[in-house]
Amino acid sequence: MFTNTFFADTWWVCWRELKHLLGQKMRVFMTLFQPFMWLTLMGNLFERVAMIPGFPASKYLDYMTPGIVVMVTLFAGMFGGMSIVWDRRLGFFQKLLAAPISRAAVVAGKMLAIGIQTAFQAVVILVIAWGMGVRFEAGPVGILPLAVLAFLLSTVFAGLSLSLGAVLTSHEALIAVVNFLTMPVVFTSNAMMPLDLMPDWLAGLATWNPLSYAINPMRGLFLNGWAWNELLTGAVVLALVSLVTGGLATTLIRRSLA
Amino acid sequence: MSTRIIETRELTKRYRGGVLAVDGVSFCVKEGEIFGLLGPNGAGKSTTIQMLITLIRPTAGLAEVCGYDVSENPDAVRRCIGYVSQDIAVDESLTGRENLELQGRFYHLPKNILESRTAELLEMLELTGRADDMVSTYSGGMRKRLDIAEGLIHRPRILFLDEPTLGLDIQTRRRIWDYIEELRSMHGITVFLTTHYMEEADHLCDRVAIIDEGRIVAIGSPAELKAQIGGDLVTLQLAGRDGLCKDKLRSELSSLAPVERVVADKTETYTLVVRDGERALPGIFSRLIDLGVSIESVNMKRPTLDDVFLHYTGKELRDKEGTSSYYRTSAAIRRARR
Repeated sequence: MFTNTFFADTWWVCWRELKHLLGQKMRVFMTLFQPFMWLTLMGNLFERVAMIPGFPASKYLDYMTPGIVVMVTLFAGMFGGMSIVWDRRLGFFQKLLAAPISRAAVVAGKMLAIGIQTAFQAVVILVIAWGMGVRFEAGPVGILPLAVLAFLLSTVFAGLSLSLGAVLTSHEALIAVVNFLTMPVVFTSNAMMPLDLMPDWLAGLATWNPLSYAINPMRGLFLNGWAWNELLTGAVVLALVSLVTGGLATTLIRRSLA
Repeated sequence: MSTRIIETRELTKRYRGGVLAVDGVSFCVKEGEIFGLLGPNGAGKSTTIQMLITLIRPTAGLAEVCGYDVSENPDAVRRCIGYVSQDIAVDESLTGRENLELQGRFYHLPKNILESRTAELLEMLELTGRADDMVSTYSGGMRKRLDIAEGLIHRPRILFLDEPTLGLDIQTRRRIWDYIEELRSMHGITVFLTTHYMEEADHLCDRVAIIDEGRIVAIGSPAELKAQIGGDLVTLQLAGRDGLCKDKLRSELSSLAPVERVVADKTETYTLVVRDGERALPGIFSRLIDLGVSIESVNMKRPTLDDVFLHYTGKELRDKEGTSSYYRTSAAIRRARR
């Protein structure tokens, strides 16, 4: 599976994706502007939720900022499969596969590009939130684990999306499936509401949701400071799940050559 | 020296859903040859090329490229071939140079070799002046040239070209043909191409395999294939037969010494295969005049690969496109491929 050129192949696939991203100024602008919009709207819309007895933060925005990091990350990851559908339509995918390049590197490169993109977005969100007076107990160095968790979480969903992209051939179909999946993934996590305030069955689902493994340690960084145990558990679980979804995408791409 | 660089034996592809796209195809390509697979859309050309470049796995049969089995050793095959697809698969959001260098990276070329080879290919395909412009500003012909350059970046032993001039204008097509010939003459690269343009196969290829409904119906040099027709094609349009019945006229025409056979008679139009047509025509005319037949017009041409295709399949190469059975087959292949 891993040839000795795996890392170089991965990098060059990733390089192309990053070039695409940076080449589209509107896209860069929107990825930075979107979190700002969300923070402003959600902070005001749900302001009074923080007054619910048992709510873990005194300001909803303190609670919600990591939720927004996670949602932005989820969306970016979930649309990662689009690049495969486009590449296939343009014939670039076939050209790539006709080269002696590791199939796993095609997947890994695309996942890496999405991870880098979302890690940047997470940092931007944090900086904007700081400007809006959001508490970040972990201090400036806490940016690092926040970015790493965002990176890992986006690769989990990028792997899933690439798997879908390997099977579905039209971008319409992919968008439909992604839209169908995205919000349920958010609602079955504690991104918007603490577990304690959820119905039991929903809270039960949330403990299985990879999103929760990013959001708990992130929220810890915001509300309580450094909690190594939670950070490491989250990172390891997310890394393992992204290996699984990336492996699935690789397998499906190999099979598509039948 | 003629080593076999591509060899297939009973190569077969049946897609899920049962469509038999390639049905037991056997041929070989010699090193340094320009070899063409000629046939209408949906005949199995693309499926054949995709099996040779390891993107589709054969259902049965064998294919060896550069001495490696495509099913057992796909990576070794990939290293020695270049592939230019019929979609112009260049990346619009990169410059021409970036496109070429990226492709070279996927073939693991070291940086110094990559740079010199990129410069060399840009020069050869006349793209140097625009190398650092975004590909989105390139014309269709420039994109195609860049795509071909990408296929050559790692100096492959074989270049696979799927419909290399599809959708290009006449001048651009001529230039692409010149490049392909240059590749062979100057660099000794073997070229395997598919086309449904018979002029292209005729002009460019040393040998042509004619494929229809997944089977190879004829194989040889364009000249050999045309010679198999047995002569020139003479088409006579008659003004009147003076009471002579059609069958009688047909047998009269067939009995003339240079006439090999009468291949078609539609209303008052007769098509004959005639050896050495130029010399035979006066004799045919005088015989017809003796019979009291008056000729309205006459046309003589050397056979084309179109006629060869008609000869072997009973179908016109050009007319094949757009028939309902073609659309059914290609739709089924598209469904199964994905």
